[in-house]
Amino acid sequence: MRARSLSLRFAVCVKAAGLLLAILWSAFPIFLLLSSSFKKPVDIFAVPAKLVFEPTMDNYVRLWREWPVFFESLLNSLIVTCGATLLTIVASALAGWVLSRCEGRYVTGSAFALIVLRLLPPIVITLPLFPVTNLLGLNDTRILLVFLYATFFVSLGTWIMKASFDQIPRALEEAAANDGASLRQTLQHISMPLGIPGMIAAGVFVFIHAWNDYLFAFIFTTTRAKTAPVVLSEIMGSATGVDWGVLFAGASMQLLPIVIFVILVQKYLIAGLTSGSLKG
Amino acid sequence: MTAPAHLLLALFILLPAAYVFGLSFMQSSYGQDASFVGLENYAKLLQDRYFWVSAWNTFIVVNSVVYIELALALLLMAVLPPPGLLCRVIISIILMPYAVSEVVGVLMVKYMFDPGVGIVAYWLQALGVPELEWTTQPSHALVLVVVLSVWLHMPFTFLIVYTARLGLPPELYEAARTDGANAWQRFCHVTLPLLMPAILVALVFRYIFAFRIFPEVWLLTHGGPARQTEVLAVYLYKSAFRYNDFGMASATAWAMVVLSLLIAAAYLRSMYRRMFVYAS
Repeated sequence: MRARSLSLRFAVCVKAAGLLLAILWSAFPIFLLLSSSFKKPVDIFAVPAKLVFEPTMDNYVRLWREWPVFFESLLNSLIVTCGATLLTIVASALAGWVLSRCEGRYVTGSAFALIVLRLLPPIVITLPLFPVTNLLGLNDTRILLVFLYATFFVSLGTWIMKASFDQIPRALEEAAANDGASLRQTLQHISMPLGIPGMIAAGVFVFIHAWNDYLFAFIFTTTRAKTAPVVLSEIMGSATGVDWGVLFAGASMQLLPIVIFVILVQKYLIAGLTSGSLKG
Repeated sequence: MTAPAHLLLALFILLPAAYVFGLSFMQSSYGQDASFVGLENYAKLLQDRYFWVSAWNTFIVVNSVVYIELALALLLMAVLPPPGLLCRVIISIILMPYAVSEVVGVLMVKYMFDPGVGIVAYWLQALGVPELEWTTQPSHALVLVVVLSVWLHMPFTFLIVYTARLGLPPELYEAARTDGANAWQRFCHVTLPLLMPAILVALVFRYIFAFRIFPEVWLLTHGGPARQTEVLAVYLYKSAFRYNDFGMASATAWAMVVLSLLIAAAYLRSMYRRMFVYAS
């Protein structure tokens, strides 16, 4: 009996230690980044890193003075992210409704095509797209990034929306049709409002990706449409040597909003992942 | 109504991909008309030493990342407290890296593993682990790439496995417990087999996404020293945008497409069957 309770206590200790390690592993780098953005250079280079220090806003002031382009890029990021999210939601909601309500070889085929195309590596399409968008004057524009991010997420979005519409009983739509509502009216007043949780789930993935993406922004923007991750990478690689304080300040401003966003929408992330990839 | 979704996919993925396929049989560079060269690009590719270096690096990195992630995700699931407030808070913390951009991730790694001031480098030294000379040693740099990738993407794997675990009926565990199975036996004989479908889905998706790896490597090492840390996406990028050899880059691109589809072949086949055979 005594041995058993001992081994039980041992198991609890191992579990707690494991949890502590997991929390440390996930949160420590983020904590270190955020706290370092308020450190003076002498504290940034202290070995080992200090937990207690005299905070300063100096890094943020210097970021503002030396890298005004970073604040423009934050705005670009915000616009591109919102645009891509909206476009993804609209395209996915429409397509998802069709996949949920209609049957036939064409519909199934188009659903399958959505999956296959999602598997292609994004860098592959940059090759032919670069000269074409250059010709069309679309390079270095925010609208191009909006389209690119939306493209890579309509597939997941459509599957999430299909699963979401599958949950809504058809009887509701049929009742509306019997009362003389047109298809448009039914969609607008019945189906789409009920699909809103699905739309949020479809939106959060592209939102996070568009805010954080480096690849497309790096290849397709040069000056005007640069997003925050691109400018951060430029600060990191600047010829005059890395100014860690400024870099931490910029990275914190890019990072904090999206971390808070992910924590707030985690319910939708979980719902979207289960319906978008598992049942799909 | 699926038109918007398909238009996006066709314009930005299908057409470019087809064009790349055509380009892979041409010799093409800036200021020079493309001319048909048949399979020459592929032959050149297979003879290029650096292509094989990048292919091998990709193979090692992708496999390490995917399986370490899965192992960590399963371990984490085992130590997680029962559902409740504490569990939700812990999951929020574990999810945070999912919100971090690769650029910011690289910045954290550079700072924490800096041989001079890095806190993790300091800890490792204290533990007696030999110093990671990642700026000069290709294999050490790849270790950092793997660590960063696992850190960024483990939440995704964890979420898929964890949500599937929540769906398992508790009666099974009751039954296993009454039969005298200990925690390890319950894990091996109940959890693992029942989670297999979810684990496979997580693996397929992570293989596909890990295979695209670009920013982590590009921002950490630019593929150097001496092109020894390139992965396929970096090799492709350099062929196209550094050496202006679009034929070679397209051949690499198609190699990546085919490999991606091969990785996903079993998954695609099962989806195809479920959608076409059982549905109609």
